[in-house]
Amino acid sequence: MGLGYLTTIGTFVGIYIILTLSLNIISGYAGQISLGHAAFFGIGAYTSALLTLKAGFSFWLALPAAMIIAGFIGAGVGIISLRIKGDFLAVTTIGINFVIVTVFEYSDFFGGAYGIMGIQYPMLFGLKISKFYYLMLVFFFVVVTAFFCFLISKSWIGLALETIREDEDAAEASGLNCAKFKIIAFAMGCAFAGLGGVLYAHFMRFITPNDFTFPVSITIVAMMVVGGMGTIRGPILGALLMAALPELLRPLANYRLLFYGGLIVFMTRFQPQGLFGENAFIIKKLFGQNLRAAFSKRNRAGGEEI
Amino acid sequence: MTPILRIEDLSKSFGGVKALKTVSLDVGHNEILGLIGPNGAGKTTLFNCVCGVFPPESGRVLLKNKDITRQPTHRIAHLGIGRTFQIVKPFKNLSLERNILASLCKDRTKGLSPIMFGTGLKKHRQEVLRLLNLVGLEEYIDQTPMTLPLGHQKRMEISRALALHPKLLMLDEPFAGLSQEDITPLLQVIKNLRSEGLSILLIEHNIPYVMELCDRLVVLNFGEVLCEGTCEDVQSDSRVIEAYLGS
Amino acid sequence: MLQQVVNGIIIGSLYALIAVGLTMVYGILRILHIAHAAVFVSGAYLGLLVYTYTQSLILALILAAVGCSIFGWLIQRFLYTPLLTEARIVPLIASVGLFILCEDLFRLLGGPYIRAFKVDLWFDKLIFFDTVVTAHQCLIVIGTAACLVSVYFLINRTKLGLAWQATAQDMDTAKAMGINIKQVINFNFIIASSIAAIAGVLTAINYNSVLPTMGSVPAYKMFAIVVLGGLGSIPGTIAAGLIIGMAETIMSAYFGFIMPRDAIAFSAMILILIFRPQGLFGKGV
Repeated sequence: MGLGYLTTIGTFVGIYIILTLSLNIISGYAGQISLGHAAFFGIGAYTSALLTLKAGFSFWLALPAAMIIAGFIGAGVGIISLRIKGDFLAVTTIGINFVIVTVFEYSDFFGGAYGIMGIQYPMLFGLKISKFYYLMLVFFFVVVTAFFCFLISKSWIGLALETIREDEDAAEASGLNCAKFKIIAFAMGCAFAGLGGVLYAHFMRFITPNDFTFPVSITIVAMMVVGGMGTIRGPILGALLMAALPELLRPLANYRLLFYGGLIVFMTRFQPQGLFGENAFIIKKLFGQNLRAAFSKRNRAGGEEI
Repeated sequence: MTPILRIEDLSKSFGGVKALKTVSLDVGHNEILGLIGPNGAGKTTLFNCVCGVFPPESGRVLLKNKDITRQPTHRIAHLGIGRTFQIVKPFKNLSLERNILASLCKDRTKGLSPIMFGTGLKKHRQEVLRLLNLVGLEEYIDQTPMTLPLGHQKRMEISRALALHPKLLMLDEPFAGLSQEDITPLLQVIKNLRSEGLSILLIEHNIPYVMELCDRLVVLNFGEVLCEGTCEDVQSDSRVIEAYLGS
Repeated sequence: MLQQVVNGIIIGSLYALIAVGLTMVYGILRILHIAHAAVFVSGAYLGLLVYTYTQSLILALILAAVGCSIFGWLIQRFLYTPLLTEARIVPLIASVGLFILCEDLFRLLGGPYIRAFKVDLWFDKLIFFDTVVTAHQCLIVIGTAACLVSVYFLINRTKLGLAWQATAQDMDTAKAMGINIKQVINFNFIIASSIAAIAGVLTAINYNSVLPTMGSVPAYKMFAIVVLGGLGSIPGTIAAGLIIGMAETIMSAYFGFIMPRDAIAFSAMILILIFRPQGLFGKGV
């Protein structure tokens, strides 16, 4: 295993972390199940590829533009989610994934089944950045995304999203406009999925519709669930674990997928709240109790001193 | 003096079944109005029409002379109607603090401001404690509703509604399913709220508590107002006895 | 045109057969049962195995159904039932994991290549004017009809079936009325899985092939059908299966180059759901 190989794996893991965190805004916080997240990953990748190749944008300009476009289309799904709910929505998002991939695959504008080739590495100060610095760039955006999620979880909007997840009727009766917050959640989540797409496109330098199909969406959902929905550490560690898993299982060669599937079954069956979620075995072992209890105890102790 | 809530000729039907037929009633200042009637009389439907959960077919709802008919539910909550649910709907996995904070969101999520971060939810802990204190739950502030008995959950819902600073509180069967030790504090909470000047519309089946709390009663039957008046008047009305016992 | 209608009905009946099981599982447990496709593929493999040794189609269908019932029951007992109290997405992901595992297992046990499933029937084909109906297509229509009629009788004419209906309406109330929920869930999985097995065998015969990945398209496409049918409604699912089968065949015959088959089902589903969020045959909200 050379250093170059590790950098490549590291970049993929970083992109998966961004994708999982962004899905977590929609599913973990706002409680809207989306099984088509790869579509927005793809929208980000295609937008950036086309903007840099056909419109002459630089990477740094294409990046926010792609995020905005993915966010806007995501808001459209948010509007659909107002009408189609629960499991109907989950299946609809599968459909959206298929339709968007079909658009990529069957229109010449998006390069058809062969995708888009010749996407450039980003330039910094007139120089093409190296693979290692690209990894650093991805890492930087992972931190940005995680920090954004942290801010959400501490803000009023995060609270509003959580109440929608828990009970929409009660949230409305508490004066929260569920429609608005659902759309915001989808827009934010999909914009960050778009960010993941931009980073993917400029790293791979060629993209095909196949990179953004439904199984990719399912992988992202699985990473989130295995890690622990609704937290920040859960999606990060879940993505890290599940993205590294196929590499770790490499010695098993022919039996890789068998073990991969088996581990997903095993982990969801015995740690349904996620390996690093609220009541997870690992967290309990590390902290002696679940995190919330640990924090509230500390708060109370602090309060008594004052 | 204009009433807090005036309902004028409200009608609503579900697939041909008339759930409400031109119902009119007033809730006065600092009054507890009891809404009683047999099951299926349309009491909860009336609540839901007032709160904008579904729109009425005709009629008007006025809150302090302001027409609020067909406004979305969250707007109506902002305008000053707090409600509880027949089957409690707490935010199950959130602490009591966050449950109450949800109702304090209203001024802070307008326009672009939800995107402003770090607006310090923690600063409002004192306000949350005050609101929980009104219903006697301040010691449970860090617990989740699921760890509390039903009576506490119902009081938490009242506290959550109070966080909206409502002009009118609407309680849907607050005593249903409670044991005696939960009922006594709840009665006290409702009495305290009235003495602080709040108007309350109350659906309840437990007639003794209705008699103890309410200033006036409205009896609904088959979606129509059967009669209306003080507790004594209603109690002696032969039509009410007939509606409850069947003729 | 008539030929396309016939082909559409054949595809549609196979879709309906697979999707009926899914809708039954959803109706009771509210789980999106992706691993149903694994049950479907195992049915095809079991059927092929039995047929190769015995040369009896009837025996192949029966043993595949029995084997898959056991498989389905095991999934229910050891994977879904313990996860019922968790968030809905958790059993879904467990199901996906199981599906990945099974697909790889089929590849390891059955080989990564396509195996032929050639069944000779006592006639070859029927020809009405210029429309050809092959013997295999007749078999599929008869098999589907037999399955659906038996499901209808099991659900409407047996005590357990009535209990199933009550549970599908409202599990808590059914429990309170003294219905043995465990029994209903077992019944549900046995029926759903045996129909999936039969669908597997019939599909394999129709295309004269069994391969490890034959379940990957049905795994998700069936959801479009189930949702169109109104999630949990059996007649709705059957109708939706036929409609999608027809639409796909006819559209790909006439404008095949515009859209791939698999996108048709989902585009139709999205369009219809926007106007009827509860599905074509779902109950109004």
